[in-house]
Amino acid sequence: MHKRIWIGTLAVALLISLGWGINEYRLAGDYRLASENNSRRAFSDFASHLDQMETVMAKGNVANTPNQQIYYLSEVSSKSEGALKDYSQLPADQAGLSYIGQFLTQSGDFTRTLAQKVAGGGTITADDTKTLQAMHDQLIPVNQKVQTLMSRIDTENLAWTDPGPSLRQKLGFGGPQIAEAAADGSEASSKSVRSGLDQLDASLQKLPPFTYTGEYSSRVVQKPLGLPTGQVNKTQAQSAARSFLTKVGYADAAPGFVGETNGDFKGYSWKYKDAYLEISRQGGVVTLYRDQRSINPRTLSIDDAAQRAKKILTTLGWNLVITSSEDFGSYVEFDAVAEQNGVRLYPDKVRLMVALDNGQLVGLDAAPYYAFHHTRTFPAKITMNQAVQKLRTNFKIQESRLAVIAKSGNQEIYAYEFRGRYQGEDYLIYLNAQNGTEEKIQRIIKTPRGEYLQ
Amino acid sequence: MILRFRSRWIVLIVGLILSITLTGIAYGALGDRLLGRGSSGPDVQEMQKGLAQLGYGVGPIDGKFGTKTEAAIRNFQKDHGIKVDGLAGTKTISELKRLTGQSTNASGKAIGYKNVDINLLAHAVNGEARGEPYLGQVAVAAVILNRISDPAFPKTIADIIYQPGAFSSVNDGQINLSPTASSLRAAQEAASGVDPSKGALFFFNPAKTTNKYIWSRPELVKIGNHIFTK
Repeated sequence: MHKRIWIGTLAVALLISLGWGINEYRLAGDYRLASENNSRRAFSDFASHLDQMETVMAKGNVANTPNQQIYYLSEVSSKSEGALKDYSQLPADQAGLSYIGQFLTQSGDFTRTLAQKVAGGGTITADDTKTLQAMHDQLIPVNQKVQTLMSRIDTENLAWTDPGPSLRQKLGFGGPQIAEAAADGSEASSKSVRSGLDQLDASLQKLPPFTYTGEYSSRVVQKPLGLPTGQVNKTQAQSAARSFLTKVGYADAAPGFVGETNGDFKGYSWKYKDAYLEISRQGGVVTLYRDQRSINPRTLSIDDAAQRAKKILTTLGWNLVITSSEDFGSYVEFDAVAEQNGVRLYPDKVRLMVALDNGQLVGLDAAPYYAFHHTRTFPAKITMNQAVQKLRTNFKIQESRLAVIAKSGNQEIYAYEFRGRYQGEDYLIYLNAQNGTEEKIQRIIKTPRGEYLQ
Repeated sequence: MILRFRSRWIVLIVGLILSITLTGIAYGALGDRLLGRGSSGPDVQEMQKGLAQLGYGVGPIDGKFGTKTEAAIRNFQKDHGIKVDGLAGTKTISELKRLTGQSTNASGKAIGYKNVDINLLAHAVNGEARGEPYLGQVAVAAVILNRISDPAFPKTIADIIYQPGAFSSVNDGQINLSPTASSLRAAQEAASGVDPSKGALFFFNPAKTTNKYIWSRPELVKIGNHIFTK
């Protein structure tokens, strides 16, 4: 009797777990299929975008009227953007620097810059043509290899990524792992889509870089232009940190050494209580300061804080104008920029954070200022009246001034800045001060924390 | 004696029940009354939504002012220069309303929150650097933004974050957790141009990484448990 009940219960339990298992297995299959479909979509789209990009690039090479040139060049850049987007969704074990990505970005960037040049009345030079052809020559083998991979997915049942070592290999039996064979970038046949793309990446890496001017033309960061001359050692950096802390309200501070920083600003970093600051090796100035102390209830208004910010700037030896503020509740953030002969130098920016409980400085980011500050020589300009004539009718000017603004690719533009209203929206419009062409438009919106430029 | 004692208790209990039910019934819009532990109603729910939106976790948004909601209010007050008392009065509510409002154009027309990218960035910061010092969180957000301006990476925040194999928090699902107030703030700060990572394109935790490629990159700065490299 008891035995029967036991057998019955076990049989039912087995059936239930079996049913559950089958259901889970089917669900997992559905998910696998959904992800497989997504990968296939991305890869097919990638291959298709590359193919179209190759075609329009060939057409762009031969086009001879500005209209057609602009059209095909813009098409190349839009196809390259699409290809990059698809490429970045392909399965991978890890992501690193991608030369395929770089190639796509740069060819898109170059053709976009060229299209803008033609649209602005410029012409395609012999050098441009050369670069365009070089890009096309590189694109053809990339396109071919991707199409080969595409067909191998069907014919050889290629996996997306290299399989990990099997249990046998992990235990030390079995032969060498397949992944090792292709790791040196040799032309050994790849075992997965990813390793095929990695080989392509390695072959692109060996080619010389393109020379052109554009947003992504080079990855070389300019040397900081605004740091004072002379190197400081660790002891001098510490006394610079101490003197800064005294100025912002921490008398007799003893900053402790945290570490060294590399990159654009080599320096020493220090810590005192909840504050962290970095002193540059060149010039021994504070490039970054942040005090994370807890802030007491607010006692100051934004205007009070702005007055404090001005005082702090003077104490720290800066002569800057405050251009904007953002209210974060317990502190306000101010941006201040340098001026030269009344011209605002927007790239030379310092950001300050002023606590609203006692007006103390709780944050400073002077990196942009030290990166870009130098004495500019201003070229001849058109008059303000001439510039105003170039604006849209009905654009109601509220403020106007001369300014230097940053443009993509580390370029600077000397421009007239107009703040004004058009059809219920506020804008900043920048006209090139030399020839009056429209260089940049920014829309001004009000976020909960303050004005924001889009 | 005993009777009087009892009746006093009854009066007290009835009074308490009445006042609780009355506060429950007499709710209006958010900001019409002082909210504290034990309050409930749609205005509490609205407040909880606002707190959650700004990264102050309140647990389930159930319209009940409990311990978690109180802790969230305290943190919110601390971060926004308001006296920390755990009660949602006029000052606290109006600050909450100010910060959760939509952006407007010059003529006052609402044009949305304008924070889609910041929100995703904050998710990534939260997933990758939750336990890190604040500057380390800003640096992680800065790495993602640095990738946009580097030719070798995709060109949108979503493409960079969801690139397969790029971030471990995407693989283990931690990216989907609600971002904390500090991650949101760090994302905003990085987006406004602050870069404590010194232009880094990668970061890793040396205690957890054996990847040879990443160790071979030049170290720029170490913040908290992360080394930032190029």
